[in-house]
Amino acid sequence: MSTFQTGMAPMRSMGDDSDVEEEALVADYKEQVQYEDLDDLDTSNSLAHQPDDLQARLTQAALPLEFSAPLEAKFQSYDAYCSLFHFILNSEGPVDLEPPSYYWAWDVIDEFIYQFNSFSTYRARIARQGNSDDIQMLRENPNTWGCYSVLNVLYSLIQRSQITEQLAAMKRNEDPMAVAGQYGSKNLYRMLGYFSIIGLLRIHCLLGDFSLALKTLDDIELNKKAMFARVMAAHFTTYYYVGFSYMMMRRYGDAIRMFSHILVYVSRTKNFQKNAQYDSITKKNEQMYALIAICVAFHPTRLDDTIHTALREKYGDQLLKLQKGGPDSLPIFEELFRTACPKFISPVPPDFDHPEANVDPIEHHLSVFMDEVKTNMWSPTVKSYLRLYTTMDLKKLAGFLDVKPEDLRSLLLVNKQRTKQLRWTDHALLEGELVNVNDLDYALQGVSYCPSRTRVFLGEIVIVLTSKTQDLIHISEAKVGRKLVDWYLRNLSRTYT
Amino acid sequence: MNGEDPQERPDYIRAVINGLERYNPEAAGTLEAYLQLQCEEKFCDCNANRALLKLYQLNPDRIKVEAVTNILVKAMTQFPSPQFDLAMHLLAPATSLPNANSASELAEAVAKLRALNAQLEGAQYSLFWATLANDSDDIYADLTTDIAGFEDLIRLRIAQLISQAFREVQVSVLENWLGLDDEEEVKKFAVEACGWKVGEDGLVQIPKNAENEAKKSEIREDVTIDMFSRVIKKAWEETA
Repeated sequence: MSTFQTGMAPMRSMGDDSDVEEEALVADYKEQVQYEDLDDLDTSNSLAHQPDDLQARLTQAALPLEFSAPLEAKFQSYDAYCSLFHFILNSEGPVDLEPPSYYWAWDVIDEFIYQFNSFSTYRARIARQGNSDDIQMLRENPNTWGCYSVLNVLYSLIQRSQITEQLAAMKRNEDPMAVAGQYGSKNLYRMLGYFSIIGLLRIHCLLGDFSLALKTLDDIELNKKAMFARVMAAHFTTYYYVGFSYMMMRRYGDAIRMFSHILVYVSRTKNFQKNAQYDSITKKNEQMYALIAICVAFHPTRLDDTIHTALREKYGDQLLKLQKGGPDSLPIFEELFRTACPKFISPVPPDFDHPEANVDPIEHHLSVFMDEVKTNMWSPTVKSYLRLYTTMDLKKLAGFLDVKPEDLRSLLLVNKQRTKQLRWTDHALLEGELVNVNDLDYALQGVSYCPSRTRVFLGEIVIVLTSKTQDLIHISEAKVGRKLVDWYLRNLSRTYT
Repeated sequence: MNGEDPQERPDYIRAVINGLERYNPEAAGTLEAYLQLQCEEKFCDCNANRALLKLYQLNPDRIKVEAVTNILVKAMTQFPSPQFDLAMHLLAPATSLPNANSASELAEAVAKLRALNAQLEGAQYSLFWATLANDSDDIYADLTTDIAGFEDLIRLRIAQLISQAFREVQVSVLENWLGLDDEEEVKKFAVEACGWKVGEDGLVQIPKNAENEAKKSEIREDVTIDMFSRVIKKAWEETA
């Protein structure tokens, strides 16, 4: 199937709440699944004239390798990838190959990164546990599955295929073929190049470079019928990593938008998913619900009905505790983060001589993330009180909360500062405008006053004058008007189907 | 103030961080010199600094402890923001969770800076100044010595944040939060550096701005013609 360009629909801009986007994607996916069997016939024909050996290598490259596979198998697999990519990238001129199937390019890049990821994890585990044979072998081959070589492969594929230029041309509504060059005009290179971009997103995220991860997708437009949307796993992976990166950059609103989009899409397509593909995304599905729970705790917001119901079903108890805040919520944040984060890796070989010095990268990223969680821990409590008043004396509120007035001033400031978040508008993923995301706003005012307290005592009036200062909190709550048009349209479209 | 992609960024740095040069270990020198420039000229380019941290991440033999701590201190001046955390995420795991018996020089410095950053992020400004003042081993003095005007940068930032939350504020609160010595100094700073007014009642008045008003608002539904397209299309198909 060589119908990539048809996947690029003209630009549409939709509000956050609209599900037209998802609907269109679902319809497209349905159509694609129906044609798939035809596809298989097609590709087997086109491959017939290719040498068997090469065909076997292409197929092999996309096959999964078990995490528990012996070290030799991991080394061999690395060598096989090196020679395959060397052949594809460094032959004289572009190699004349058609990818074995529509999914092949994604599968290869996906598996390549998965193996790199699991090799790094495995290596770190060996270093902590100590298995002398394996350690010896790893010491002798520090560059196998090295970070630089993996990055090199992905960047080379991107450059060779001129995919960046092609995507830029598509954005301008021009013919990508005009800038594709002799490599990029071939299906094999274009698809490998395209999925390498998503591969980079993933690698940067695994290494903890979240802003670079999002920057990588500058040329790919999300929320449209992008190329990756035709490969379910790619679509899914992209949104998971983009959403996660947003969360780590404290852009919770954007993270929720990403997770919601893909989860709605999955819930609507699950009836006609092929089983194997669907199984592989079930786990990520659960993880994304956990991440939504974290984001919603930071940034309470109205969720899509489907997501909201599923979230309460899966993580109802945890969500309640997260939303309550305070020290009790900390273990829940940790638990959910651990289950839902990517398997972070360290790009360099571990210290085999000091097993105890090797810290699991997940613990590192978790500990940094928890700093921000702890800073915000009291915000839900503070907010729940503020909601009840329009004007409040700081000292009185401090009394309710059982904290010192100075500390409450800090808590109020923290909460207020966090209500401003960068929100994506229409451009690159990293950009956005600073918006107030909270429905609660307040200002502090120190006032000095001379209250006159009147006491009536035995018919004689005694006026007690005290002069002191107090802090007033002026609170205002933004009212969210009912979304009647949205509600009406949703129900109307239901009556038609 | 844009600490992520500042205007001051020169073209040669832009070329490094936007291209493949960012992976070249030799580029570390260029980025280190640029970091030095940021420290002297009082601007901050967190994006370029992360490119340097990334090079250290991939080539641990090149790590310069001062450069790492300077990057963290620079990122700290951007509070409240994720900049400090984003830099932390690029450090080696052992630097954030040091082993009690094998803590490296870098890990110790990082732990100190993290504590300081948590105070700024948590708006515990008096605590922040107290921590700096009780610096018995001169550790914080050493860590911030390269950053020109570190305290002034922080003080101005705090003042800016106060202006976004307060309409009027007591001089005593300002004194603690701005880390100044006496009321006269506070009043001088409030008037000269911030352009605030000092009232006779000992209260500092902060001009109205979008943030300290706490205006009531109603969020209304945005309705566009596109939203109706599906329904109209369906209705058309039904009748056709």
